[in-house]
Amino acid sequence: MMDLYYMLYSAPCRSILMTAEVLGLELNKKKVDLDAGDHLKSDFVKLNPQHTIPTLVDGKFVLWESRAILIYLAEKYDPDEKLYPKDAEDRAVVNQRLFFDLGTLYQSYVYYYYPQLFEVEKKPANPENLKRIDSAFDMFDTLLEGHQFAALDRLTLADVALLATVSTFEISEYNFVKFPNVVRWYENAKSVVPGWDENWAGCLYYKDLYLGDILK
Amino acid sequence: TIPNMDFYCSLASSGCRSVIMTAKAVGVELNKKVLNLSEGEQLKPEFVKLNPQHTIPTLVDNGFSIWESRAIAVYLAEKYCKDDTLFPKDPKKQALVNQRLYFDMGTLYDAFIKYYYPLFRTGKTGTPEDYKKIEAAFGFLDTFLEGQNYVAGDHLTVADIAIVATVSTFDAVEFDITKYANVNRWYQNAKLVTPGWDENWEGLQNFKKMIQERLANLKNN
Repeated sequence: MMDLYYMLYSAPCRSILMTAEVLGLELNKKKVDLDAGDHLKSDFVKLNPQHTIPTLVDGKFVLWESRAILIYLAEKYDPDEKLYPKDAEDRAVVNQRLFFDLGTLYQSYVYYYYPQLFEVEKKPANPENLKRIDSAFDMFDTLLEGHQFAALDRLTLADVALLATVSTFEISEYNFVKFPNVVRWYENAKSVVPGWDENWAGCLYYKDLYLGDILK
Repeated sequence: TIPNMDFYCSLASSGCRSVIMTAKAVGVELNKKVLNLSEGEQLKPEFVKLNPQHTIPTLVDNGFSIWESRAIAVYLAEKYCKDDTLFPKDPKKQALVNQRLYFDMGTLYDAFIKYYYPLFRTGKTGTPEDYKKIEAAFGFLDTFLEGQNYVAGDHLTVADIAIVATVSTFDAVEFDITKYANVNRWYQNAKLVTPGWDENWEGLQNFKKMIQERLANLKNN
């Protein structure tokens, strides 16, 4: 069985848990308490010199970066293309959405929320960075025009990754009601992606631990 | 199909430069269409139709439109390479390449954005904490390259090309790469073996001028 070093509150970790559900994979889940500095202990750093979660261990093979893990799980355990197509063009669209998720959408979360939540000296909310979130959601909304899923005409890894990200925005009380395609996509994704309940439990856990000071 | 690739780009952009080098490595020709971003050419309706996110680089291959430089690089390798050296088929080897690509976007180039891009918005660099993130990123890359000549395995892959575009961008703004012995060794070799390196370095010079003008203003004010 593969080991997954994770914490339930982490969006990238949650995307892997949902993907494992879709593919029927069992994971040996191992908590790495970041607040307690577990990730900086020498055993973990030996495994992953970047000491981030999620980290996957499949036999002797160690992998990190959630979206690289998602693709690896699909390449190795999804021969029927449930989540990741083999066709180069279709695959490129899924890949583009995964890079959008990291580089634009989740980045906008980092810019706005991380200084308020995770810096040593917590900073007040910066309205310029809220605009960055609006811009990212506007872009996602445009990409979803006329589509039920994020990349192709069916569920893919892109939907799962983006679901973990958007649910983190929801629990942080970012209001995206003005983006009707995103709302529609989100309601559908919640109902069709297995493991949604565990993802939402992770969001609630995240809220309990970190969001108290910034939510009304 | 015979490739027919329109490539929307700006030569200062590291993403564009990495695709140009990847195309050379794969052996496909790009019809370069340079967009002037400061004049908003990327917002023209014809381009937004091709890419609703209106970002560069964007590749249009026989009507198929794809953007995000690292997705383009993988696409070119998967579709047009005669073998799988640039982007392995084996899931584990491929996963390592992917991990390096996401590291490049989310940690290495991200550190460049956070420290240097504010120069274009506010005339000031990022904070000392932002600078520490650059050093941390180079520290990780240095560890990845311990005893290795390439970033993901024992030969050149699309990950090396993406990361050389990023590292050369740091080099152009005179970040001291020599402090990271493994990165420096890898980089000096990459300059020799990466197809299209000269075009990458040439494209950087304009970006370098823009950054250095702003860094100089910062010193004088």
